[in-house]
Amino acid sequence: MNLRDLVILVADPSSYISMLIHGMLRGFGSNKILEVRNSNGVLQTLMGQKIDIMICDMHLPPHGGLSLTRAIRGKTDNEHRTMPILIMSSDSREATIKRARDAGANMVIAKPISPASLYDRLSWIAFNPRKFVDTATYFGPDRRFKIEGYPGGVGRRAGDKEVEIGAESGPALAQDDIDNLFSSVQTGQD
Amino acid sequence: MAKGKRPKSGAHKPGAQKRSPSVVAPPIADGGDGETAKSHKRRPASPPARLFPVDTRFQQMARRSGGVPRDQAIERAQKALEGVKPAFEEFLEREVTGLAEMVKKVEAGQDEPGWIETATFRARQLRDSSGSLDYELVSFIAGSLCELLDSIEAGGECSMESIVCHVDALMLARQKSYRRMKPEQVPELTKGLQRVVKHVTV
Repeated sequence: MNLRDLVILVADPSSYISMLIHGMLRGFGSNKILEVRNSNGVLQTLMGQKIDIMICDMHLPPHGGLSLTRAIRGKTDNEHRTMPILIMSSDSREATIKRARDAGANMVIAKPISPASLYDRLSWIAFNPRKFVDTATYFGPDRRFKIEGYPGGVGRRAGDKEVEIGAESGPALAQDDIDNLFSSVQTGQD
Repeated sequence: MAKGKRPKSGAHKPGAQKRSPSVVAPPIADGGDGETAKSHKRRPASPPARLFPVDTRFQQMARRSGGVPRDQAIERAQKALEGVKPAFEEFLEREVTGLAEMVKKVEAGQDEPGWIETATFRARQLRDSSGSLDYELVSFIAGSLCELLDSIEAGGECSMESIVCHVDALMLARQKSYRRMKPEQVPELTKGLQRVVKHVTV
């Protein structure tokens, strides 16, 4: 994957997290990375220049990354309407992932982010372009798709170890399950 | 009489009309069988869905040759993360101390507007950054604190005791001897925090 000269917008309220993502992207060969802390910053940036991909936090203030995604996808006279959007979320419950998918996100990546998981999701977006769907209630990437595996990719992240600490506190999903949820519409499971 | 020529009984009743097989009975609009009426309701016509291919500049450019191979890209990214670890320990110290001071003020009854939001932001930042940098114990404790604070933000019980318990755990985990530990190396601590969260959030 060649990220050179592609403009990547990292939208996260935390400057520290942005700095970590920035470092990872630099390692991948990216040389044009912009950072913003809120939705207004995103919208201003989009008005001022062409952005090739946005990596956006689910909790981006003030209204969250999903509202922002819906706004970008919903605005008809917007040159960024089909821009790839990768949502970062520490909340990996099934309902949350489905909301991201239905807002028009291309992919969801679970926080904390590892270099391998970020690389593989970017790579998947790059090498598996999806058709867009335009209906009265949805505009975004076709939600019916199947992940056949990442290009040379990994399965679970290195951090997803089998740690038995106690009872499971909630139905959080592993990254693989998050990815698979994007294909559930096709198989009639949604 | 031949079987096929037997007249239908209804045809002999007075007033019975013979229907042409090509005529379909109109749907019952109202007053008829509810189920039938429902099944004949027509939905307002919606515009058809449009499906179209999109090949963005990102996709076109990212597929160019000459990129960094995956293994090398990940290795370089890992190195970049290694490079920020010394600074992270200062950040960890600063964030945990800041969190502890704020919670202390709230406990003492001082007015700290928006402290829940600030604490949540700090806890999320700690959880996500320490997770990416493999400070697993810190990430675990901060994650548990996030769960607690999310529950308070959602209208759950605000148990200062539980918050202080988590902040104390973070104060311990930031110490040199603990900061690189994994949660399973301190099971009493991790199980204790889980019990606290479960007690407050259930």
